Amino acid sequence: MHTLEIKDLYASVETKEGRKQILKGVNLTVKSGETHAIMGPNGSGKSTLAYTLAGHPKYEIEQGQALLDGQDLLLMTPDERAKAGLFLAMQYPVEVPGVSMTNFLRTAKTEVDGKAPAIRTWTKELTEAMKRLKMDPKFATRSVNEGFSGGEKKRAEVLQLEMLAPKFAILDETDSGLDVDALRIVSEGVNRAKEKDNFGILMVTHYTRILKYIKPDIVHVFADGHFVKTGGPELADELEERGYDEFMPEGASESALA
Amino acid sequence: MATVKEINIPVADPHDPYKVPAAMPSSADRAPRSFSLDDFAVPSRKQDDFRFTPVDRINEFFVPFTASGRTHVTISDMKGHKLDAAKVEATREAMGERYSGKVSKPNDRPSVVQWNASAEAVIVHIKHDLDEPVLVKVEGSGMDMDALHLVIHADANVHADVVVQHSGMAMLAEGVEITTGEDSQISTTFVQEWQAGSKHVGNHRIHVGKGASLRHAVVTLGGDVVRIRMDQDFGGDHGDVNMLGIYFVDPGEHIEHRTMVVHNEPDCKSRVVYKGALSGKGAHSTWVGNALIEPTAPGTDSYELNRNLVLTPGAIADSEPNLEIENGDIIGAGHASSVGRFDDEELFYLQSRGISEREARKLVVRGFFAELIEEIGVDAISGHLMDAIDRRLARSETPNSDSVFEEDK
Repeated sequence: MHTLEIKDLYASVETKEGRKQILKGVNLTVKSGETHAIMGPNGSGKSTLAYTLAGHPKYEIEQGQALLDGQDLLLMTPDERAKAGLFLAMQYPVEVPGVSMTNFLRTAKTEVDGKAPAIRTWTKELTEAMKRLKMDPKFATRSVNEGFSGGEKKRAEVLQLEMLAPKFAILDETDSGLDVDALRIVSEGVNRAKEKDNFGILMVTHYTRILKYIKPDIVHVFADGHFVKTGGPELADELEERGYDEFMPEGASESALA
Repeated sequence: MATVKEINIPVADPHDPYKVPAAMPSSADRAPRSFSLDDFAVPSRKQDDFRFTPVDRINEFFVPFTASGRTHVTISDMKGHKLDAAKVEATREAMGERYSGKVSKPNDRPSVVQWNASAEAVIVHIKHDLDEPVLVKVEGSGMDMDALHLVIHADANVHADVVVQHSGMAMLAEGVEITTGEDSQISTTFVQEWQAGSKHVGNHRIHVGKGASLRHAVVTLGGDVVRIRMDQDFGGDHGDVNMLGIYFVDPGEHIEHRTMVVHNEPDCKSRVVYKGALSGKGAHSTWVGNALIEPTAPGTDSYELNRNLVLTPGAIADSEPNLEIENGDIIGAGHASSVGRFDDEELFYLQSRGISEREARKLVVRGFFAELIEEIGVDAISGHLMDAIDRRLARSETPNSDSVFEEDK
């Protein structure tokens, strides 16, 4: 059993108008096997939370801790965080020209595990995982994310999630840009990986539709840089009905329905 | 005496503007070609061709010298075995005897000095298709000035690959002539892996046959000053030239590549792609890509690109594409050029998967070049090049040269 504990986290980002505080006192505890949906209106800071936890250099920590089994992730470099067991599936996966998926995945697996995977089982696992995600085998030889469609990039993120087997997975807007079929395939991939590795999930999403496929245990509303409401799966239904209006400045309106 | 073309400016027919060329003189009219030293002034940075060159560091190459003759040249197949003389002949001849001095003439001061200093020319004459690349090994032998003249002559219809590998310590003035016969398919790859302190001034003169395709690759991974100028033209229509370049520049080094593609025949295609990585203070690269599309070359399809990856602060990359288009009836004449640093998002993505920053930078650099190396397409050659890049990256791993992959703190 592993625990990820975010305590009183404040973070800011440099903008043209100067330093801007985005995360304003985030507190959250996630345990192995739990799925937390983090929902909120655009610009509330939920993606910033995801990237701050993963260690993107753009965000500066002002205060707080993110303890994975007692060890503060925020004091680590991004690669150390991955080795500690954190995985971020990005909303916009980055293209890395000239680096093949195979080479990238094997390098990452070797780093995360501290030893190279056994070549035969590794290749077999990779091929099978790709098949389950309905990915064309030729993706393995192509450059990381290069020329992938939006849906293909998301599948590649889930492929990495399956292969790297983290302790905690942050899924940042994994549903965005997916049609219904792709959403189902990607969600099944996440569920399969969770079934196998029993990791905790922080699922950042604006819309409720992915929650039909990846069932949350706990639903949070994130607004203005911190959690403002927490409930069970029924909270998602409420949001679907009423949108985010009550969590937004007077007069603003956003639906949670895609 | 220098050959100077007579300038003759035709007048356009208003009913068919494509029929006659643009009414302007061409830079080709002003560029001398000659075997005589006196036709070329000693280079200074005021001359356009030497604007980016640290001429003070290569003075030795501008005045006549006696060649040491100690540069070691061996010609074999890639495994070091003897060549099949029925297919490819490796010989030597007096300068200008039969195969040498045939592709244009020297075009600048160092190239005429080299021509005059060379005692004989090394000829690689390819007569039939080759299953395996020819390897020309050029080993420098110290800091005495030497001159080498190499001719690669491929007959009509031949398919073959040639790799020229430079290593050791050298002060080498090198002239290269490449002639490819009609409908031949040839690749030539020149690798410079000189020891630190070496200087190399090269001049390639290239003539691509009618309907022939030539892939000309240059890989420069080391040397104090390396300056290679490449002038190419076509011998008939539907020629295809693909010039690829890779360079890696260490602190204090000057690595310069100048490509001059001349479209003088109809319906020919040219691609020039040069990519370089630079690290540290005083690392200086220069790429100048000239493309001239003459009035006689309708249907030309040309494109040139140069990308530079600055690994650490303090390096300077000069990148200058020049297009001179004297014919309006062409398919394309494009260019692109960039100088950039590591992409933070790429590094973060790799790091977020557990890969250390140092390893991520290596992957990115390797990937930056791998794209180009893949294009070379001949396994023996691409494998060889990727090995050379890996050797070069491994060299950056030694504790003394830590700076290659660390930002200056």
